[in-house]
Order: sequence, then C-alpha cells, then structure tokens
Amino acid sequence: MTLRALLLVATALFSIGIYGLLTRRQAVALLLSIEVMANAANLVFVAFARFGGAPGQPLVLFALAITVAEVAVGLALVLLLYRRHGDTLLELASEAKG
Amino acid sequence: MSLSVMLALVTLVAPLVAAFLSVVIPPLRHRGAPAAMLAIAGSLLATVAAGVLVTQDVAGQAIRATVPWMVLQGRGLGEIGVRLDAVSIPMLAVVCLVALAVQVYSVAYMDRETPRSYGRYFAYHALFLFSMNTLVLAPDLLQAFAGWELVGLVSYLLIGFHFDRPSAARAAVKAFWMTKLADMGFLFALLLLFTRTGAFSWDVALRPEVAEAAAALIFVAVMGKSAQFPLHVWLPDAMEGPTPVSALLHAATMVAAGVYLVVRADPLFAQAHWVQSGMLWVGTITAVFTALLGLVQNDIKRVLAYSTCSQLGFMVAALGAGSAFAGYFHLGTHAFFKALLFLGAGSVIHSVHSNFMTDMGGLGRKMPLTALTFSAGALSLAGVPPFAGFASKDAILLAVQGRAGWVPWALLLATAFLTAFYMGRVLVLTFLGKPSPAAAHAHESPAVMTGPLVALAVPTVAGGLLGPWLARGLGTELHLHLGLTPVLASLAALGGLGLSLALYLRGGEAPLAATLAALDRASLIDRTWAFGYRGVLLPLGSAVRWVDRYLVDGLMNGLGWGTLETGAAIRPIQTGRTRDYALAVVLGALALLVLGAWR
Repeated sequence: MTLRALLLVATALFSIGIYGLLTRRQAVALLLSIEVMANAANLVFVAFARFGGAPGQPLVLFALAITVAEVAVGLALVLLLYRRHGDTLLELASEAKG
Repeated sequence: MSLSVMLALVTLVAPLVAAFLSVVIPPLRHRGAPAAMLAIAGSLLATVAAGVLVTQDVAGQAIRATVPWMVLQGRGLGEIGVRLDAVSIPMLAVVCLVALAVQVYSVAYMDRETPRSYGRYFAYHALFLFSMNTLVLAPDLLQAFAGWELVGLVSYLLIGFHFDRPSAARAAVKAFWMTKLADMGFLFALLLLFTRTGAFSWDVALRPEVAEAAAALIFVAVMGKSAQFPLHVWLPDAMEGPTPVSALLHAATMVAAGVYLVVRADPLFAQAHWVQSGMLWVGTITAVFTALLGLVQNDIKRVLAYSTCSQLGFMVAALGAGSAFAGYFHLGTHAFFKALLFLGAGSVIHSVHSNFMTDMGGLGRKMPLTALTFSAGALSLAGVPPFAGFASKDAILLAVQGRAGWVPWALLLATAFLTAFYMGRVLVLTFLGKPSPAAAHAHESPAVMTGPLVALAVPTVAGGLLGPWLARGLGTELHLHLGLTPVLASLAALGGLGLSLALYLRGGEAPLAATLAALDRASLIDRTWAFGYRGVLLPLGSAVRWVDRYLVDGLMNGLGWGTLETGAAIRPIQTGRTRDYALAVVLGALALLVLGAWR
C-alpha cells in the first residue's frame, strides 16, 4: 500500500461522489453521494497521517462528527420534502425560485 | 437722502402701494370705487412729486441713488435705484401727468363696468404707473428691462381687459407675442453688454462692432414696443382695450418707451452708426406706411392708432438722424396731444356707443368742449403752427434734413401732409357734416371727462415752448429760424388739412382710397407674421419635438429596454436547480485544476 494508491482510491471515491451528486435526483441519493465525497476526504487525511507524518487522525474524528450532524440535518430536510410533496425529488423544492 | 431722491421714490412707491393694496385687500377692488380713489391718490402724489422735480434745475448733472442688487462676492450683479437727470425728469412728469388725467377721465368713462371690473381696471392702472416709472428712472439697463417687461405685462392685461370678448383676448395675446418676440433682442443685448463690460450700463465705450451689435439688439426691442414696421401690427389691434387705456399706454407713454430707451441709451447708440442709419430708414418707412393705412380706417380709434405708429416713426427717424433731442421733444408733445385725441375720441364713443365714424357726424354742436379740444389735438398732430406738434415735428424735419440724400426728409414731409389729411377727414366725419342716426342723441360728456381734456389741451397748444428747456437739458440748443423746412412743413400741414376738408365736406373720397383699403384688408404684414408662426415656428417646434421624443427620449428608453432584454436573455442561466450550480462549481474547480497543471 503506497500513498499514491491511497490517493488514487480517494480521488476515485470523490469522483464517484461528484458523479452521483450531478446525476441523481433523489435527495437521499445526493446525501449518500456527499457522504462518499466526505469519506474520500477523510481517506486523504488518514493517508497523509500514515505516510506523510501530518497529524490527520484528529481532523478525521472532527470531520466524522460534522458529517453525522450534516446527515441528521439533511435527513430532516428530506423528511420535510417528502411530507410536503409526497416525494423526495430535489426539483420539487423550488418554491423560492422567482 | 436728498429731497430729489425722496421725491423720485414717491413717484415709485405711491402707485405701487395703491396697486398693492387694491390687490391684497379684495373688498377695495371688488367694490370698485375705493380702488379708483387709491389709484388716483397715488397718481396725484406721484404727479406732485414729479412736478416739484421738474422745477429743480438739474441741467447737465445726474443724481444717482442706487443699491447693489444680487450681491455676489461683495459686488452687485446690477443696481436698482433711481437716476434723475434731464432725460428722466421730463419723461417722469409727462407719464405722471397723462396717467393722472387718464385715470380721472376713466372714473366716468368706465362707469358702465361692474364694480369688480372697475376695481381691477384701476389696480392695473396703478401698477402701470409704477412699472413705467421704474423704467423711466432706471439707473441702468437691467432695471430698465424689468420696467420694460412690467409695462408689457400691464399692456397685455389692459388690452385683454374685456377678456370675455374673443377679439380682445386675441389682441392681447397678439400684442404680448409680438412684443415678447422683440424683447428677446433686449435680453440678448443685456447678455452681450454684461459679458463684455461686466455691467449693464449704457454709458460705456465699446469696440465698434460690439456697440453696433448691442444697439441693434436693443433696437429690435424698440421696434416691438414702439410699433415700428414690420412689428407694428399689434398696435392697431390693441385698440380692443378700453379707450383711456389706448390713450395712456398705446399712444402717450408705453409705446413711447422704446423711443425713450434710445434717448436714454444715447451714449450707446451714438457709437453705432450703422444702426442709426437703419433706424432712420425704419422710422421713415413706418411713418409713411402707417400714415397711408390711417387714411382708410373707419374706426376712429384705429385712425389714431395708425397715426401713433406714424408719429413713432417720426421719432425713430429723428433718433436715427442722431438727434436725440428732436425725437424726445416729439415724444413729449405727442404724449399730450395723442392722449388728448384718444380721450376726445373716447368721449365721442361714450356718447354715441360706437367706434365707427359712420355712426358719428355733426357732433360739433352737441359736444362743443370735446370738439374744441379734439380739434386742438388734431391741429397739433397735423403740425399746424404754432401748436406743440408743429414745433417738435419741425425739429425732426430739421434733424433729418439732408440725410441719406434728402429721401427720408421728403418722405417725412409727405407723411406730414398725409397726417394733416387724415386728421382733416376725422374732423369732418366726426364733428362736421350731417349727424348719423346713432349720433342724434349724443350729448356732451360729464365734467370729470372734459376736465382732463381741457387740462391736456394746454400743453397740446403751448407745449412747444418747453422745447428750449428740454434742449438745454440734453446739451443742445433749439434754433428757431425761418428756413425751407419750417415753411414747407407748415404748408404741408395746412395744405393737407385744407384739401381734406374741401374733399370730405363735399362727401368725396380720396384718390387711391379703394386701393389702400384693399391693401389694408389684405393685411399682408399680418399674414407674413402669421405665416412665420404657423409655417416656420410651429414646424420648427415639431421638428425639435421629434428630435426630443425619438432621439433624446429614444436613447434613454433604448438603454432601459436593452437592459431589460439582456436580463431576460441571460435569465435561464439561473435555473434554481441545485444540481446545475453544483455542476458549475465542479466545472470551475476542474478549470482551476487544469490551469494549475498547465503552469
């Protein structure tokens, strides 16, 4: 396992996350994509901590906590979206559009 | 403050207070008589003050009392105040005296008006006297302009006094329009003088071309106010105003303001020789042309109106010949006898209820006092010696003698003949001959009307004696001698009178009368001006309006429209879909990456 291999995996994960973010219409799928991207970032942190000597692990713990909070808020929004529109398609949340 | 200055202020303040009170206290105006009393009291005070001023010998010196006006950086833009000298004092006296006579006369003449109109009439009169005195006493051209415009305004108000009559309203607008058109010249002259000298004084040495330009511009305004050809067309129509108004404004004083202004600004005009020769011709042409039209009028007031134009032409010709004295002298005598003639005509009109001489005739026996005083005025106007009009007209003919190849002299002499001729016609048609049915029940006017007639008859007969005094004040001398001109002028006057009496007493008609009447009906000058208005000014206005609406406004509207359209065109970029924004972010990040890798 080299740093290069780990970074390639992280880049692949991040790109998959972006792809999901841009192509999926369901709000839950978007949340999942964001999680994948966040984990890619975490992986980069850990990889640099292991091979580069940077203090990455504490940041990953912080990032995990923040991601949990983000998912909690995101899921609450998804729930409201469903109650209001009967579906979780993100386009439905366009009331504020002029 | 010296006595003279205080007296001069009285001539300004007294009528102003009368006008002000009549305007701000409605009951005075609405009940009529109090406003009349106020106006007459104001004029009486002003006349007494002017009379005392006349007795003060100011020959050769000027008393100035001014305060700076619109002070900027410690320096006034102009001055307001009074200037008393040998030019302003005689004019002041003439204006106050004639105004007083006319106002007293109006008490009876206007008695058929409602009290409200009666009060309004006298309020206007008081305002007029203030305005005219402001002009006469002006220490510089700026105040003169203010007075000039004020008398123009009062003239408009008084011509349109019977504003419920369409013809009167039209005549008022016409007079205002024509004189304002000419007044633009005055305004431009003020601007020119101020930019060149930093002041509005007429008494400065200027470069010849500047002096010519300023004098020419002022003369345009003079042509309007003093009804010179071809701007004379408003004056005959101005006879729609009440007859005493015609006497005061449109014969004796206001229309003479133009002549007065030239006399006042003589130092400026003396530097402008081209303008002076132009004035000589304009005056001569006006005198001849309007005298010819005066021959064929049937409305007695229009005869007098045309004769006023004609006599103003005489004055302007004298000024053009460089003799401020001759023009000014004729202004003074003309003020008296023309006011007398108009008031006499008013007395007749009041009696027969018609302006037309066909409704008159044989009034000499029924209205002896009117007939007598009117005849004195007519003889003076005709220039019969030794009446005042003879003395001043003779001074003018002497002044133009030998100028411009004797042509103006000959034409003015012919005009003097025509003047005598048409005044003879008026005398015959009005006071002699057979009475018309309308004139059968005519009777002499009350004393309050004949009194002013008699009072004005005195200077009409003897005003010529004031010539030497006036000449001394203006720094010249009046030579009385028996030469070619006085003899010819007397012969022209007597011949004209005699011929017309002989002709019209037999019921004849002058040769060429039909042609002239046709010319009068055709009113070519009127049509030219009307064409200038409808054919030139209005299309020009439309063109300017087009430019404003479609080019200037179009630019602004186009700018707004373009902004809106551009906004609408790029609006779809903002879809409101999160994914699109996310894509934009990703693309931007990618672009940055590529850029970073590139370098």
